[in-house]
Amino acid sequence: MQATRNGAPPADGLLAKDTPVGFELVGVKKKAAIQLMGSRLWGRFNPNHWDPLYASETGLSAPIQTGEMSSAYLAEMCVNYFGRHFFTNARMTCKYVASTFANEVITTGGRIREKTPEGDGVRFVVDIWAENEAGETKTVGTVEVLIP
Amino acid sequence: MTTDVPATDSLRPMTEIQIQQTREFIESLQEECQTYWDMVSVGDELSRDLHITPELVILYADAVEDYNPWYEGWRMNTWHIEGESPFGGAIVPPVLVSHFVLSVQFDHTKPFAIGSIHTYHDTQIHAPIPVGATVRIATKAIDKYEKRGRRYVRHEVTVTDVESGRLYLTEVRDILSL
Repeated sequence: MQATRNGAPPADGLLAKDTPVGFELVGVKKKAAIQLMGSRLWGRFNPNHWDPLYASETGLSAPIQTGEMSSAYLAEMCVNYFGRHFFTNARMTCKYVASTFANEVITTGGRIREKTPEGDGVRFVVDIWAENEAGETKTVGTVEVLIP
Repeated sequence: MTTDVPATDSLRPMTEIQIQQTREFIESLQEECQTYWDMVSVGDELSRDLHITPELVILYADAVEDYNPWYEGWRMNTWHIEGESPFGGAIVPPVLVSHFVLSVQFDHTKPFAIGSIHTYHDTQIHAPIPVGATVRIATKAIDKYEKRGRRYVRHEVTVTDVESGRLYLTEVRDILSL
């Protein structure tokens, strides 16, 4: 990873126009910490996101994260790789295929599926996912980003 | 046969008074509510304005442990700052506003339909949002459908700048309803 002054990703990200199809993105790793899942801005409004007793009464084995926390993890990975280009004319789809339970450790990943010339730039299509320590997939999706 | 019931403090340490306050808070959330399926009709449109303050961005980013300095319009000791990003000042994380769509598509004047699960979003990011902007989040219910015995409500979403009208984000999203 290129060094930056203050811990920010490189402005143009870690990918270049010549990065090949099949390239794998190194993602981010996060623990589904109950204190964060139940914070006011995230899941506090719904005890299924932070209270083990309430979650149990609704049939869940443990509180579950809001899906959008996974989307935020995936977006962080994409900003690392696409930099400022992820904020303009980009697309991100996410399907939450399984619940993320309290205390699971989630790792994101990505692989370049497709590259298409567009003007002077290249539009990348990347398969993205989030999975737990056992390799169980929690979220799948794609991103499309133009590197001009 | 016995069923193990998890304790309130099984996932984090708490004293008796914290446990009592937690149970009282959860009790206070219990309201008569409709299912989301019954609450929404295709064609329903709702809209709210959100002022994206520097502090709101910090609350969002800290809880997902994203410490990218591009998002900092507030920093401890200095407090409000202009910030620094490839676009000039501080910007909003790319899918922050997507998280707030929930507070629009679920009519906030009615009891929240607990039991609903967000399952999918297809998000187009059109332009970076500067920290401090006020955005209008507009939602329209475009479909209700059943798939493999489950019921889904689909919305389309538009996020624009209240002052300039600039288009920041569009989205299609699904909620699974009881």
